[in-house]
Amino acid sequence: MLIELQGIHKTYDNGQPLHVLKGIDLNIERGEFVSIMGASGSGKSTLLNILGILDNYDEGTYHLDGTLIKDLTERQSADYRNRMIGFVFQSFNLINFKTAVENVELPLYYQGVSRRKRRELAMEYLEKLGLTQWASHFPNEMSGGQKQRVAIARALITKPQIILADEPTGALDSKTSVEVMQLLKQLNQEEGLTIIVVTHEGGVANETDKIIHIKDGIIGEIEENRSHSAWGGSIIK
Amino acid sequence: MRELFHEISSTLRNNKLRTALTGFAVSWGIFLLIALLGAGNGLMNSFVGNIEDYISQNITVEGWRTSKPYAGYKEGRDIQLDESDVLFTESEQWKGIIHDVYRGTGVTSVSLSLNGLSVSGALRGVMPDYKEAEKMRMYTGRFLNPDDVDERRKVIVISLYQAKELSPKDPDAILGRWIAAGAISYRVVGIYHTDESEMSRLCPIPFSTYKGIYDNTDKVESISFSVTGPETLEEHEAFEELYGTAIRLRHDIAPDDRRGIWINNGYTDNLEMNKASRMINIALWILGILTLISGIVGVSNIMLITVKERTHEFGIRKAIGAKPGEILKLIIAESITITAAFGYIGMFLGMVACQIMDKTVAQRSIDIGGEKIQMLVNPTVGLDVALEATLLLIIAGTIAGAIPAWKAARVKPIEALRAD
Repeated sequence: MLIELQGIHKTYDNGQPLHVLKGIDLNIERGEFVSIMGASGSGKSTLLNILGILDNYDEGTYHLDGTLIKDLTERQSADYRNRMIGFVFQSFNLINFKTAVENVELPLYYQGVSRRKRRELAMEYLEKLGLTQWASHFPNEMSGGQKQRVAIARALITKPQIILADEPTGALDSKTSVEVMQLLKQLNQEEGLTIIVVTHEGGVANETDKIIHIKDGIIGEIEENRSHSAWGGSIIK
Repeated sequence: MRELFHEISSTLRNNKLRTALTGFAVSWGIFLLIALLGAGNGLMNSFVGNIEDYISQNITVEGWRTSKPYAGYKEGRDIQLDESDVLFTESEQWKGIIHDVYRGTGVTSVSLSLNGLSVSGALRGVMPDYKEAEKMRMYTGRFLNPDDVDERRKVIVISLYQAKELSPKDPDAILGRWIAAGAISYRVVGIYHTDESEMSRLCPIPFSTYKGIYDNTDKVESISFSVTGPETLEEHEAFEELYGTAIRLRHDIAPDDRRGIWINNGYTDNLEMNKASRMINIALWILGILTLISGIVGVSNIMLITVKERTHEFGIRKAIGAKPGEILKLIIAESITITAAFGYIGMFLGMVACQIMDKTVAQRSIDIGGEKIQMLVNPTVGLDVALEATLLLIIAGTIAGAIPAWKAARVKPIEALRAD
């Protein structure tokens, strides 16, 4: 089991306590392609942040690849994030003053990989995603789809255990959305990567093999979707 | 380390405006500080230099005219010091306090001439220690020596100004030559530095020679001596009071009649002057430190804004694996790089400004009562002070950057990512 969540509770306290996650139990196997679906405010982003060790939780246990992720120092969590998790964000989160290739190689900088080696690997991944000629361009010179592919290259370069994608198509048009989802599906099938996508769009969720519904801070239905027939079977709305 | 340097240099290159603004604040701070300290030093040097020419480390006593009636005499009586006053000053009463008493004669105006050229001069009979007491600086040759006085030699020391007037082509050549001073010839043994002031007409000759030729009486125009014992301003004033009263009473002058016998106390003048120059120095440093503080505030302000602006970027870096220490290291190393590079530029420009001041303002002098006074003398800052100030700004800039950096490093990645 790659991810094991048991009785996860999370309360935000901004003046008024807000109980966001009310006991989440969830297991995800290595190599699964999963989506977490829910309306806004359902707690799906909070769950993803906890899975990504970007945020902590109040109660319960979270095991990632057998390691208990709890009460980690910032140093430890940074190290786990760097080695085990690749992030893909809705708003891409590329560093604007760095070129595509510099953005892609940044996680390796924090692993202490040499400059030459970093550049080599980053170019390799950009080539894989068909962005070779965009390597020296800055993010604001690229389209949304290209930016998201740069972000995916950056997520892949450390060979992580999991890819966590938070509304990866949220800022893209439907055609590009299909392309990005196809890319993630391909990475799951060919590389055996575990991919977790958070979305509120049925079409996007339908591309994944398993759909986990979350509502009001608890897991609802878990839908097997090997046939990709849920939600009418198409991403295009 | 090299990796960090590459990371920083690419960040700085790709954020030119921010780099330039921070750099400008740093350069400007250091530039102002150095230029200010330079100008201040110039003012100090001018002040101390100009004053030192007039203040001698001795006490001079001269007879003037009484301003108060005393002991049956009316005011307005002319007072003449004589050999008995010298003996009184040298007497047992002042043993251990008063040293090196010498007599000063009056001044006799003459025309100095050589080979048809002439210049006016004021002969004065002095003792050899006159040079030290009056802080005369020799240009060439020597000052009068005890043998000159013992043997009543006809030797003279003239000013560089007079030497130039008498021998325009080669003032040095006048050394050793006989020149006419009125009806009498003197051999030039030395030339002293001149400051173009009236003083430069003064021509010291041996005291005994002067007395023999121009003033064959036991009259003494002035008595000068140095003093050991009193240290503080109060002690010097007390001594002056004691001695002044005693010598005034010898001539039936009211003890507080400063015009009857006038005492010029170089020690108290000097102490007052030291106090004044210390005050100027303190004022300069306060100004300098305030300038430095404004520079530091500028740098910290920009660092604060920069860090705030970059919160989102730090969030991204953290999400992909940057440890808090790396964020801290990045910001601090960046701030050191900027302050060091631009601090150096500011220091360099500041020193250039000092040189420009030296070549322009410092060359001009103003006329005060016939005295030419240079407003700024050598308005420069030592390299050590300049480096120290730059280093201080770098350290302060780093500390100023470290506080927001430390905060930024502690922000949870999820919060940093939410920031715009």
